[in-house]
Amino acid sequence: MSVLTDHLSSSLHHWLRGPRLDIALHGLLRLMALQIGSRPALRKLLRSRDGWLDFGVGLCTETGTVARSIRFTAGRGQVASGAPDDVDVTLRFTDDEALWVMLSSPPQEVMNLILHNRLRPVGSWSTLQLFTYLMTAVLGRHHQRLIARSCEEERRWRGQGGPAAPTTGRSAGLGGTSGRLRATSHEPGVRWLEDPYLSDYGLESFPRLRDFLEQHLTARAEVCAERAACLTDWHRRHGFETTADGTPWDPVERQGLVFAHLMAEKAPVIRRGDLLPGTTTKIPLTGSAVFPDAQGTMIWGELDSIGDRFLIPFDLSPSTRERLHHDIFPYWMTRTFRERVRIAHDDPACLQLGERWVAYFVWKSVGISHTVPDLESVLTKGTGGLNATLRARLADGGDDEARTTWTAMIRCLEGVETYAAHLAAQAAEQARKESCPRRRVELEEMASACLRVPREPAGSLLEAFTSIWIAWLALHNENADTGLSLGRLDQLLQPFFERDMASLQGAEERARYIEKAIELAGCFFLRCADHFPLTPDIANHLFGGASSNQALTLGGVTRAGDDAVNDMTYVLLKVTELLSPRDVNVNARFAPGKNSRSYLERLCEVNVLTAGTPSMHNDAAIFAALRPHGYSEEQLRDWSATGCVEPSISGEHMGHTGSVLMNLVAGLEMALHDGWHPLIAEQVGPRTGRLEDFADFEQVFDAWATQQRHLIAQAVELNELLAQVHAQHRPTPLLSALMRGPAQRGRDVTRGGARVNTSGTSNIGLADVTDSLLAIRQLVFEEGSVGLAELGRAIARDFLEAPELAALIGRRVRRFGSGCPRAVEMANRVARTVHAAWAAHTNSRGGPYTAGFWSMSQHVAYGNLSGALPSGRRAGKAFTPGLTPHPAASKSFLNNLRDVAELDPTSMDNNMAFNVKLVPSARDTCAQTAARMRAYVQTYFEMGGMQIQFNVVTAETLRAAMAHPEDHRGLLVRISGYNAYFVTLSREVQLELIERAEFVL
Amino acid sequence: MTLLLEIKENALDDGPGIRTVIFLKGCALSCAWCHNPESLRREAELSWDASACLGCGRCLRVCPDEALLPGRDRVDRDRCSGCFSCLPACPSGALSRVGEETGIDELVARVIRDRPFFQASGGGVTISGGEPTGDLDWLALLVSALRAADVSVLLQTCGTFGLERFEALVHPHLAAIHFDLKIADDAAHRRWCGASNRGIHRNLERLLSLERAGGARVLPRVPLIPGITDTDENLSALARMLTAAGARRVQLMEYNPLWPEKLARVGVAPRVEIERAWMTGAAVARCEQIFADQGLEVVHEG
Repeated sequence: MSVLTDHLSSSLHHWLRGPRLDIALHGLLRLMALQIGSRPALRKLLRSRDGWLDFGVGLCTETGTVARSIRFTAGRGQVASGAPDDVDVTLRFTDDEALWVMLSSPPQEVMNLILHNRLRPVGSWSTLQLFTYLMTAVLGRHHQRLIARSCEEERRWRGQGGPAAPTTGRSAGLGGTSGRLRATSHEPGVRWLEDPYLSDYGLESFPRLRDFLEQHLTARAEVCAERAACLTDWHRRHGFETTADGTPWDPVERQGLVFAHLMAEKAPVIRRGDLLPGTTTKIPLTGSAVFPDAQGTMIWGELDSIGDRFLIPFDLSPSTRERLHHDIFPYWMTRTFRERVRIAHDDPACLQLGERWVAYFVWKSVGISHTVPDLESVLTKGTGGLNATLRARLADGGDDEARTTWTAMIRCLEGVETYAAHLAAQAAEQARKESCPRRRVELEEMASACLRVPREPAGSLLEAFTSIWIAWLALHNENADTGLSLGRLDQLLQPFFERDMASLQGAEERARYIEKAIELAGCFFLRCADHFPLTPDIANHLFGGASSNQALTLGGVTRAGDDAVNDMTYVLLKVTELLSPRDVNVNARFAPGKNSRSYLERLCEVNVLTAGTPSMHNDAAIFAALRPHGYSEEQLRDWSATGCVEPSISGEHMGHTGSVLMNLVAGLEMALHDGWHPLIAEQVGPRTGRLEDFADFEQVFDAWATQQRHLIAQAVELNELLAQVHAQHRPTPLLSALMRGPAQRGRDVTRGGARVNTSGTSNIGLADVTDSLLAIRQLVFEEGSVGLAELGRAIARDFLEAPELAALIGRRVRRFGSGCPRAVEMANRVARTVHAAWAAHTNSRGGPYTAGFWSMSQHVAYGNLSGALPSGRRAGKAFTPGLTPHPAASKSFLNNLRDVAELDPTSMDNNMAFNVKLVPSARDTCAQTAARMRAYVQTYFEMGGMQIQFNVVTAETLRAAMAHPEDHRGLLVRISGYNAYFVTLSREVQLELIERAEFVL
Repeated sequence: MTLLLEIKENALDDGPGIRTVIFLKGCALSCAWCHNPESLRREAELSWDASACLGCGRCLRVCPDEALLPGRDRVDRDRCSGCFSCLPACPSGALSRVGEETGIDELVARVIRDRPFFQASGGGVTISGGEPTGDLDWLALLVSALRAADVSVLLQTCGTFGLERFEALVHPHLAAIHFDLKIADDAAHRRWCGASNRGIHRNLERLLSLERAGGARVLPRVPLIPGITDTDENLSALARMLTAAGARRVQLMEYNPLWPEKLARVGVAPRVEIERAWMTGAAVARCEQIFADQGLEVVHEG
């Protein structure tokens, strides 16, 4: 096969159409079957631990030119003509061309075909992955050549550095980062720091952190099968759906047992030189755990190529590959969230629509733990204290489910304690062998901390960090990397900082302790970066460069309503400044009237110095957004960011705030095509009328609203089906033990046990939809300068033959962000409509759906898959990130700020992402730059703005980083809600960042 | 009637803090290197931006004066009567009107939206031109209305106003003044700037003395034009003049070589051929030293 495809020249490509292609495909499949049958190394791939992998795959074109299938039984492949419907998966190509691309390209192109709806797998995606893996194995070296060639091409393209950067009036540069500010005032909560900005410290003051950071930026993540293997072994022995003797498992009980087993078996690893013990995976530096029980089989097809792919390659050892392919994935291939829904509900329409990738993405296919656990209880009560409460409840009675739930929670917490004991032993053992006296002391302190925490309440800052970290890595062994967030660490840690400080004598000792606290917090930040989600290449295009998104929240007000900024706020800000972390994702709250100007200016300074973090939030607007849900004032004051930016009531709110990523432009495209989606090429929504028949603007708006509501209803249906799978098959008793509510209610968090239950959504393309509706209203219905039919033709041909219309739209239409009240009104109307459409649904845990307007990097992915719009946006171009106004909306940044600030917060109860790219003037000092930025943010917040995030970087720097990634590994950018290293991003996302409007400070 | 040239929001180089700059049309001087030739005439005029033009030719068909031509020089200035009937025909906005009629109330309402930004940053409104003092009665209404709205006002002027009326009507409402000086020698000033500088120097002296009595802060500013204003001789003479008038500070404005591009849009050819390069740091430092030698503080931000 490799020989054949190698020599298929372009002329052959043209000749190979229709029946000839059908015959050629038959030949290729026969060859594949023959190779597998005759080469033992390949044949071996069809054997799993349970026996032969028997499955069938159909391949056909929608045009009917090609239809073949291949079926593997007992290690032999058999090819048949026609596409029978009893295969496990059928690959439906739109046409011959798409099939040709699949046959001649590396696997990421297969994913691109799927994204662009030119290949539609019908049936088991696990089987598709298995088949892809077999193909790459058969293609062998030829396949590697294809990958190498595509990487080479990518490098060459990037080497040009992308398009010319937008020019700006003021001379831009990063001269504004020179010099450091000192604080101008002290908050009452700042008890010990003389200069809260800690301006005397630089990264050079902390060699340990400097080295760790360097390693973090240069090392590749390695796939670690420890968790998956341990889980699979246990389930093979004890069963998943039923026990070994055929009794159905209570899934809560089973999850408790298997987790305790996992923690007992988990290797206690202490990274060389680290102050905190334990690692999420077995890999000391950066490991990626496999979650075959969630969505893990999605990387099956890439097991041979994941180390060679261009974007975010992973190390994967041959033994791990073998284990995953022969043992782990075969066991789980029908047990992933996605496949369970497919099997139980006969491949429902809502799942199929989700797998077109252009309408919505439902995160429960990966995980549900997009929330903020109650780490405060771990610190103040210890797992031992939590367990005592649970045991008391057990002794008091409770219904069956409650008793099972409490028991499972106890087992999980005990599992964490077992692991901590193993760490203590490991640390003591290493201390004994350690020759360096300083390190020996550190290891001894580590050992004694692990003997106490997390079982006991923490007694010092070191114990507090140790306790949180062990709980944290345990949670990441139960829950896939999907935005599990840390909450208000400054509030949790301050009592320990103060206690330690109070026990110290003299200024020198205190100064040394402050240094130690910074170093410890730095180690914690870098520990949190020790795990990185294992993503298939398709995720590089959908969620480019995203890490686990562990949000951390600083500042704001205390539960009592006072200024919450304290010593630890500033310590954590210092660490943020030193490390420019991708993950943790630092979010800062600002409470007008409570938090100081000096604090806000420090946030701005850190943002200037790190280029992309923290993201800033206005407490007043968030409170206004959340208040309609009936939360108490104490609850509101205790909100923290989750994943990207979304608000959760800390420690008691199962908000799965990243449930659905909804494309608002999909509804618009359907409204413009009477319910037909151009890319999906199907009648997806109801018939709402042909474009040229709309008699007034209200009909257009209603058509969009109807289509969008239809998509929202579909997404809700899928979200609920997946939620059922979580509740029925994969409850999370550890997470339940570490949230407020499940213990009282005796219910797992997946079953509504948390005190607060919502489902959070993100809605992408607000500015693009608003601008499009504004253009239609103004040009078609108010001025009459353009006809709907004319507009429809221009859109269909991507404005190629209508440059004058494109220019007219660009010049005449006052967009959202231009300072035009009518445009803001339209944005608010769109947002309200979206919010109401979600709020009409209730989730299975009894809570409402909430609406957010941030986009991860989906504004690029969805934009890539969407056609031209009435706003003048060209086909395939990225939407604006989050709800950011279009760059052409106004030359004045102030108009952007004003318009965004006027959005109604009550429509945005899952927050927003407003992205601004600022560049300091070359001759300004850091003080001037931070002061100006502070003035912008302060005013924006005073006007009611909810959230704002800055990239402080020039397009020139981004272009240079695109061309020379090795020199810019640590360059941090904020995409839309989360942070990423620029060099790890897909070219589409890189371009979007370069082309963002740039405002010079 | 004073016409509005442009409103520029979020300006960071025209005074302290975040500012909105109101540019007014018309100037009493005609400096050879003027960067804003569209600001010189008091009347509205037509601007054509070659880079935005789609070349669709719609404007040619609607012009009653036959003043629009295909090709590089779109507007025949001699024929254009300024009727602006071509504007609605232009889809791209390449053709535009320079000089907008606006009432004081409307103008104040437009800039006042930015007031929260002014207050958070210590900024305000800067009035510039052209030369904003061309109609002192109108200007007085504008600055007093802004002051009444609690907006701090900075005036940028070339100093050609009638002192008495300026002092009575405008000056009390100003927080600061940027006062531009170009050439010390009167004959050279007449040649390059089209008018005498005697009145200008007198006005500056008076404003500086008012400043010492607690009036608006005055910052003298000197544009550095290679070979014309940046000579040792001229700068020394200006520095002596400033010191004698009691000035303590001065700002030097670096030469911007991109100005001829701007001229082309309103169909003006540069009167002088000046260097096409940015000044070097050393060249700027030499100029700064001349003022420093006279005991003046050279500031970089107004």
